[in-house]
Amino acid sequence: MIKRSFFGLVKPKLQYEIIDEAQAEPVSIKPGKQIRLYIDQPYENAGEMLLKTGDQVQCGQKIAISDDTAEYLLSSKSGQISKISPFVGILGKKLTSVTIDVDDASSQSCDESFKSACQAPSLENARDFLAGLPGKPNFNVFFDSGKPVKAIVVLGADDDLLGITNQYFIKNNIIAIKTGIALLCKITGISNAILIVPQHLEQVAGSSGAIIKTVDSEYPSAHPELIMQHLLASEDGTSKAKSGIAFFSAEAVCAIGAAYTTGQFSLEKMVTFVSKDGNKRLVSVPIGTPLQDILNEFNETLNDGDRVVFGGPMKGDSVFSTDYPVFPDTDIIIIQDKNQITERSDIACTNCGECVRVCPANMQVNQLIRYLDAGQYEEAADQYDLFSCIECGFCSYVCESRIPVFQHIRLAKHTLESMKAAEESNA
Amino acid sequence: MHSTLKLTVSHAPFWHNGSSISTKSWNILLASLLAVIPGCLQYGISAIGVVTLSIASAIIWEMLINLISRRPISVGDGNAAVIGMMFAMMLPATIPWWAVVTGTFFAVVIGKEIFGGIGANPFNPAVLAMTIVMLSWADLFDFNAALLNYQFDFNAVYPLVLSKSFGALAVADFDLIDLLFGKQIGGIGSTFGIGLIAGGVYLMLRGYSRWEVAVSFLAGIFASALFFNILNPELYAGPGFHLLTGYTLIGAFFLATEDSSSPVNFIPMLIYGLFGGILTVMIRNIGVHIDGVLYAILIINLVNPIVDKIRPKALGKGV
Repeated sequence: MIKRSFFGLVKPKLQYEIIDEAQAEPVSIKPGKQIRLYIDQPYENAGEMLLKTGDQVQCGQKIAISDDTAEYLLSSKSGQISKISPFVGILGKKLTSVTIDVDDASSQSCDESFKSACQAPSLENARDFLAGLPGKPNFNVFFDSGKPVKAIVVLGADDDLLGITNQYFIKNNIIAIKTGIALLCKITGISNAILIVPQHLEQVAGSSGAIIKTVDSEYPSAHPELIMQHLLASEDGTSKAKSGIAFFSAEAVCAIGAAYTTGQFSLEKMVTFVSKDGNKRLVSVPIGTPLQDILNEFNETLNDGDRVVFGGPMKGDSVFSTDYPVFPDTDIIIIQDKNQITERSDIACTNCGECVRVCPANMQVNQLIRYLDAGQYEEAADQYDLFSCIECGFCSYVCESRIPVFQHIRLAKHTLESMKAAEESNA
Repeated sequence: MHSTLKLTVSHAPFWHNGSSISTKSWNILLASLLAVIPGCLQYGISAIGVVTLSIASAIIWEMLINLISRRPISVGDGNAAVIGMMFAMMLPATIPWWAVVTGTFFAVVIGKEIFGGIGANPFNPAVLAMTIVMLSWADLFDFNAALLNYQFDFNAVYPLVLSKSFGALAVADFDLIDLLFGKQIGGIGSTFGIGLIAGGVYLMLRGYSRWEVAVSFLAGIFASALFFNILNPELYAGPGFHLLTGYTLIGAFFLATEDSSSPVNFIPMLIYGLFGGILTVMIRNIGVHIDGVLYAILIINLVNPIVDKIRPKALGKGV
């Protein structure tokens, strides 16, 4: 954990992790008996679902709950579905959990339906087959007619601290990224591809053929929202509001390139695993592998009160069970010991202004938190720019009163958005 | 499926820089000792008595009000101790015990707790209490009379009274270096200038108080005192005198920078400090009161919410 520096006159600086010159090869981890996929779709009537308990699935097969949805994941192993159940995710999100009993390594079989589709790469088949790849590429932005996508931005810098996942792909796999970017440009018809890398990887990234832009080594400069603001800064207000940018992680671009060239999916997710002692290791693990299998590999034991974080230390989510699986967009897993955890408090804001000085979105967090604390979310949004927040978590990190500012903000945004959704559906 | 392992689940971020209100309070107390210890050496055991009584009674008042209002005991954050310390630093060493206890009551209960505790006070609690006590028992704060029984090796007349009553020429023989090293009478912790400056710089470097406020406050005093001095050098003392006497330095480094009653944005902090400095000199030179720092700080505390509206545009708002 990075502590406050002795001299506090200047703004605190949090440096992004820099990948080692001699980064050890990723440790490959095989799932044990089961993999689990949480699909972003509410659990419905068992009769109406595409899948049933007992169904045989193959490696690379699409796992979707119903036909009329774009949400699916790809099974990273072949096996038999042993359980389908509802699951409640972050902020009460309704998901469906699909548990698959993995077949023996000798009897693994692959789904062949993508083989024919990959002969003619197109946006449609990318959307229909590739959205479950590691890095979770999002192709839906290209189908939004209101906001034409003007640029493809590939993130070669990790946007949370401690992560080296994307840097690993830039450093070791720039050829695959080049292929992936070329393919993306071809299927989307957009020639404007921008590769965002940290400064120390600028040289390596040069051979990718894309426009190279570097980001600072200080958090949160690699945040997609800030990159977007930066890229759009030169444009005037009207076109700014209309133009869209499609973000892809370096890992996703590699996986897309590989999928179209080989006709097969690589469903191994690269995860930066940070153990209790602060050791960082890259692990390559099939999507859906439960956390427990990774813990077993490193002989990491958890005790009551420890914390497991999926995602980085600033923006991740803590989970309550070691059954939680690796998602397509899980870049970092952090294990924190009980005594590394800083308790939050309910002390009032003292107006010290640290949060205002660190906020990359120039928000008046000190005023905002007063409204949020009182539950006046609409006033907060109207007067104190609630929706300008890019959710970097810096305000909570520096708060002297240890107020969970970020949590207040997320809750407020969620509440307002669900109110709006409810109003729209009633209208 | 149901494991017995109970993991901690909480919201991001999962790191914290380790700062806390109590650390800040201890640092402010530490920095103030640089001025309080020389004060105690100058005024002896009675000064130590005033300081300790003030801190202790401030803590007890806060604890009592916590108990009465059935809120969690908040004295652990050290804020009450800081208020007690700030209050004591402004008092003459001969102040009777009941005035100290009443003063800390005003500071902690009237100044802070009735507004909702830490962070909710619109005024600096110590300054508010000090002005109430000063207006109520003005004769206790006549430093010339209060410190009559002390023997000093320097001119033991309260400098601001001298300049107020007899003009700038009367204070011409005060050496600025002597004033800086505390060779003047005044509050226990508000005369040893070099200690106040060192403590203030320490707090600014550590980030516990904002340099923008302190520097602009002093700049305001300097500029306006210079203006008056040029206007009428015989009547109005020079900027150096105003910077080093009365409550100027403690006001700039310890009182005006109080978090809850000062702005957080850059330009508002500068306006806030500058306005405070100018008001101070105006009250001293053309007002009826001897020292203007406390009133000036109360007034800038009042304008704080308005000046703090001057803020940068948030991301995505406007072009």
